[in-house]
Amino acid sequence: MSELLDPVFLLGQLRSGLTTAMFLFLIASGLSLIFGVLKIINFAHGSLYMIGAYIAWNMTLILGNTSIGFFGAVVVASVSVAILGGIVERLLLRYMYKREELYQLLFTYALVLVFADACKYIWGTQPHSVSRPPVLAGSFDLFGVRFPHYDLFIILLGPLIALGFWGLLNRTSFGRIIRAAALDREMLGALGTNVSGLYSAMFVLASFLAGLSGALVSPIKSVVPGMDVEIIIEAFIVVVIGGLGSLWGTLLGSLIYGLTLAFGILIFPRFSIFAAFVIMAVVLVVRPWGLLGRPVK
Amino acid sequence: MKRLVLGLFASAAALLLSSPATAQNTIKVGVPMPLSGPAALYGEPAVKGARMFVDEINAAGGVLGKKIELVVRDSKASADEAVRVSRELILKEEVQFLVGTLTSAEGPAVSTIAKENKIILIAPIPKTDQLTAPKNLHPYVFRTAANTTMEGRSAAEIIASWKDVKKVATIAHDYAYGQDVAKSFVDHIKKLRPDIEIVDQQWPKLGEGDYSPFINAQMAKKPEAVFSAMWGGHFVTWAKQAKPLGFFELVQNRVVNGGEAGSVEATRALGADYPFGIYGNSYDLADYAGQSDAHKKYIERIKAYTKEDPPSTWPLTTYVAMQFLVEGIKKAGSLDSDKVAAALLGLTIDTPFGKQTLRASDHQADRGQFYGKMVKGPAGNAIMTEVKYVDPKPFMD
Repeated sequence: MSELLDPVFLLGQLRSGLTTAMFLFLIASGLSLIFGVLKIINFAHGSLYMIGAYIAWNMTLILGNTSIGFFGAVVVASVSVAILGGIVERLLLRYMYKREELYQLLFTYALVLVFADACKYIWGTQPHSVSRPPVLAGSFDLFGVRFPHYDLFIILLGPLIALGFWGLLNRTSFGRIIRAAALDREMLGALGTNVSGLYSAMFVLASFLAGLSGALVSPIKSVVPGMDVEIIIEAFIVVVIGGLGSLWGTLLGSLIYGLTLAFGILIFPRFSIFAAFVIMAVVLVVRPWGLLGRPVK
Repeated sequence: MKRLVLGLFASAAALLLSSPATAQNTIKVGVPMPLSGPAALYGEPAVKGARMFVDEINAAGGVLGKKIELVVRDSKASADEAVRVSRELILKEEVQFLVGTLTSAEGPAVSTIAKENKIILIAPIPKTDQLTAPKNLHPYVFRTAANTTMEGRSAAEIIASWKDVKKVATIAHDYAYGQDVAKSFVDHIKKLRPDIEIVDQQWPKLGEGDYSPFINAQMAKKPEAVFSAMWGGHFVTWAKQAKPLGFFELVQNRVVNGGEAGSVEATRALGADYPFGIYGNSYDLADYAGQSDAHKKYIERIKAYTKEDPPSTWPLTTYVAMQFLVEGIKKAGSLDSDKVAAALLGLTIDTPFGKQTLRASDHQADRGQFYGKMVKGPAGNAIMTEVKYVDPKPFMD
């Protein structure tokens, strides 16, 4: 256990924990947003993330292995997934808003299966891999810890997205409408707001985030079938801990989850994932609505 | 309405009558294999080897005057599903033999079905020692894959040969295959080199998406060489995360990676991000020094059959398994399970990569793997050099 006192080692674990946390925040924030406004638990969020990763891989083949090629691929992937999300919402999902939660759950689960097979059909079952963009491929030393530039980029991007969201929700009139929609959809409609259009916009925005996180994760994970389900489980743990529908809760949940995994392996080498589940279980018992969530009436 | 009902009855009766008739003219072989989910990456190419073998043998007149028919089912890489489809293959499709399963969860599960129904199962891929361990062995189960003992010990032989290495670490997934192969590695290297110390063992869960905490923890122990059992997409993710953290520099590329890290699938997926300089293994190789003519011909055929160049390394697994089955049937001169099972014991056949024997003692083939140093090839992808076929015969027991 001597490494527990080694600051270099601890800093290394902190780096990996923060990187994991910010990736999870990117993906879980969209999940949380959809629940907060649309009141739908969207299992297919992980599928949109997977599609984003596949499109990014496909686009880097076309655009080339350059920094511009990579970021171009990220933009194309995020926008394409946002459009796909918009189509799904307009054609299918909006008929589900008034159904019982169980039906909504089954419906989004069906989407998971459909998207998984579609991805297999289009991109095959081989694992694909995207290189880090040359501009972020290097690393630097921070107090003796190797810090990849790409990790730093992700660690900075997470809080930026969180601030952007906070600004959108609290400093714009659009944000005021979103908050109103989360509180009372019917009243807002009666006041003359186009709620249906607002819901579409929210779903497109959340899909964009899913596509973005999928594209950004492609340089550090293999793009394979099954990555959709793997991430959605982690994202759910995060939002359950932090509170479904709460932006800061999602950020807090991501940090708790990422850091638990990173430091957990020091204390329970084979059970760090178990530690994350224990936290989730405790939160569910003590504060079922999550650390920063609001209890449902 | 009456006519419709009658018609239905008539066609149902015809179906019932016709199935035993076809069963007499063909030999039906059930193939439970993962064709969906992450394991389909290997399941799909693996099935192609069996298909090519069957096409070839049927074109040459079949065996005992009968054609072989493969009945392939998706086992979804889960023990439950593999058992379910295997039962269905035996009861509904009336297959006479089973050649299949991929993961170390599926193999032992389907083995119990084989025992129950007295149907031969030849497992071409699962590696866990449990499949053919004395307490699980029965007359109808055979394995043509390498097992975890052989793979772990092969890796130990390589690392033991690096005389200046004293501190060794392992990383393997926390499930049957990972635990078994790491244990075989550790036991064997301690025997070969008592001066070597195991300084660290990491056990990420299977399907872990973020290896960086494990990599960082391992680096803190300053190992001089590492045995890794990361496989498939997991190997891709692990290698991509380990490389920028300086992991491979720290150990000076002295990593021996089991789990087919030297296969075409892995090198293709990683491209220029492959950790060049490490040692990988593979079931098959398209091209290497000292390759036999039989192997070259096999590679040409599988290239044409799968339209892939370089071809997948996985078809060879089921190709050889089917070859054993057919040679067993020929030797027995019968399709009777007990007679074929007896014929398979100690049977030696000529496979595309040389002679292989199914040992009578543990129903295990003396299947080695190719090991070599992975370097950047002319096309940018990693290729295996200093290729060595590690023959497991000296250390199988």
